[in-house]
Amino acid sequence: MYPVDAFLGQNGMSKEMVMENSEQAYLIKSTKQGRNIFLNFYTRRKLLGVIFILPTILFLVVFILYPVLSNLFLSLTDACLTKKNYNFIGFENYLKLFTNKMFLKYSWNTLVWTFFSVIGQLVLGLGLAMLINYQTIGGPFLRGFLLIPYVVPAVALALITKWIFNGDYGIASKWLQNIGLIDYKQSPLALPGGAMAVLIFVNIWRSYPFPMLIYWAALKGIDTELYEAAGVDGANRFQSFWFITLPQLKNTTIVLAILRIVWTATYFDLIWMVTGGGPAGSTTHLPIMIYQSSFGTFRIGYASAISILLGIVLFVCIIYYVRKSGDFAD
Amino acid sequence: MRIRENIMKQTKIYNKPNLLRNCVLGLISVFFIGVVGFPLLWMVVSSLKPATELFKSPPTIFSDTITFEWYLDAFSNKTVVRYFINSLLVATGTTVIVIVMATFGAYGLTRFRFFGRKAVTVAVLSAYCIPPIMLMIPLYRIIARMHLNSSLFGVIIGHTTVTFPFAIWLLISFFRSIPRDIEEAALVNGASDLTIFFRIVLPLCVPGILSTGILVFILSWNEYLLASVLISQDSMKTLTVGIANYISSTEINWGVIMALGTATTVPIVLMFTAIQKYFVEGLTAGAVKG
Repeated sequence: MYPVDAFLGQNGMSKEMVMENSEQAYLIKSTKQGRNIFLNFYTRRKLLGVIFILPTILFLVVFILYPVLSNLFLSLTDACLTKKNYNFIGFENYLKLFTNKMFLKYSWNTLVWTFFSVIGQLVLGLGLAMLINYQTIGGPFLRGFLLIPYVVPAVALALITKWIFNGDYGIASKWLQNIGLIDYKQSPLALPGGAMAVLIFVNIWRSYPFPMLIYWAALKGIDTELYEAAGVDGANRFQSFWFITLPQLKNTTIVLAILRIVWTATYFDLIWMVTGGGPAGSTTHLPIMIYQSSFGTFRIGYASAISILLGIVLFVCIIYYVRKSGDFAD
Repeated sequence: MRIRENIMKQTKIYNKPNLLRNCVLGLISVFFIGVVGFPLLWMVVSSLKPATELFKSPPTIFSDTITFEWYLDAFSNKTVVRYFINSLLVATGTTVIVIVMATFGAYGLTRFRFFGRKAVTVAVLSAYCIPPIMLMIPLYRIIARMHLNSSLFGVIIGHTTVTFPFAIWLLISFFRSIPRDIEEAALVNGASDLTIFFRIVLPLCVPGILSTGILVFILSWNEYLLASVLISQDSMKTLTVGIANYISSTEINWGVIMALGTATTVPIVLMFTAIQKYFVEGLTAGAVKG
């Protein structure tokens, strides 16, 4: 063990122990006395650490914490973008929401959208992670290629979707028309069920790379001896997948699922740009409802109430996630 | 090291020469390369087709003639050029601000011990989970109050908000991977804390910082929601907002749109390919631990 390591507070030894026991610590102690008149070593380091993260803290408070609290406050008012003043109206916005039938429908849409998107991307992510884990020839190329959707701009994806599912000229629409799933010259984006299905499919295409990477890292971390032991016991490949791989990936899956639920449930860009929430509100989910209430009808108090309700559900997830990956803070 | 050994072992176990297995894996790989590549390829191909081919039914995969007319069309429009410049400025500004703050922040959080350190780390992690849609209204009000909604600074602030937690999160894992021993050696030899940071840690972290920077650039370049909300002036819009306006209009000029989409996507994909190795390392090193 390095005495200086302890000095930096790594292994929880008290300073006195280190100071007394180690020669090198003595060395540092003497340098310290020679060089710093005002502050001793520890105070100086602490102060420096605080200075280093001060911008971070300030930023988090002003642009994350304040907005979240401000949302909470706004949701209790009748604030409107077009008016300067607003009144405190208690829980009226929430009451209005709960009696609004559309809110229920849009919540259901959010649930469908999130559920199928997350399941899809986790399954696909795991499958492809196993593929790039086994693949030896061209492995890095395959991995690199499969990561590309991670950075394709949502707007580009939206315009591709609109183009290939265009009723008249779209190639995918043509395929669907040929196999008889939809009528001639029709676009699946114009059908209530079809639009949601297409959007979920595109969203899975867009977002599987992240789970794939994380699963890949987790797969590499599984102790090979487990597989060897299973092999000796006569397990086939499916059995070792079912009884070793899956249980070993349980925690990774939980954390990933939470993260992806939070991001998918609040993901706005794709749906907005492809269908704008239509046809007939069949792809409107809560983020689009928030957007429409704030910049369509300007009722930001009402919109805040929706985002708080959505936020409360996600907040539980976030807390759980932070606790689960708590060893992140070592 | 242990992971590397595991890979070696796993490869040995599963890669007994087996023609059938290799063929099946190869086929699956080709299938997924097709699924991932087709939409992007289709965009590029469409942007190079003349109008007669573009609106042919049934569509042809490769057209006989290649034309750059849509690109010329798109970039002869001054507004489009303006959008490009705006996006470039916003993404660069965001990257600089985020990287400076996140580098200091991540270093402070990984190398110093002080009261509240853990709380800040947890706060960063939580901030990472807070979606832009929930920050949209308050940010809009803050920016409007500061009278920044007709300049690019408003969007830069917005993009900083959504990219900063991710950047600091990645950088923390990069800093963790740099062995402390070097810094300790320097400390024992009498280097000051700042010397250590600027002369030893920063040079070692250049790949990590650079790739995080490029990633922030990409995220900011791709961002749509906040950019569309925080800018009220047409000439200040970013590329994503501009394109989104084109595709939501009733009369869509598909050729130009495909050219714009290609011009937006290709540089980003190339940049990402360049840093991908570091991105994979950073994300898989400490990221989501079970």
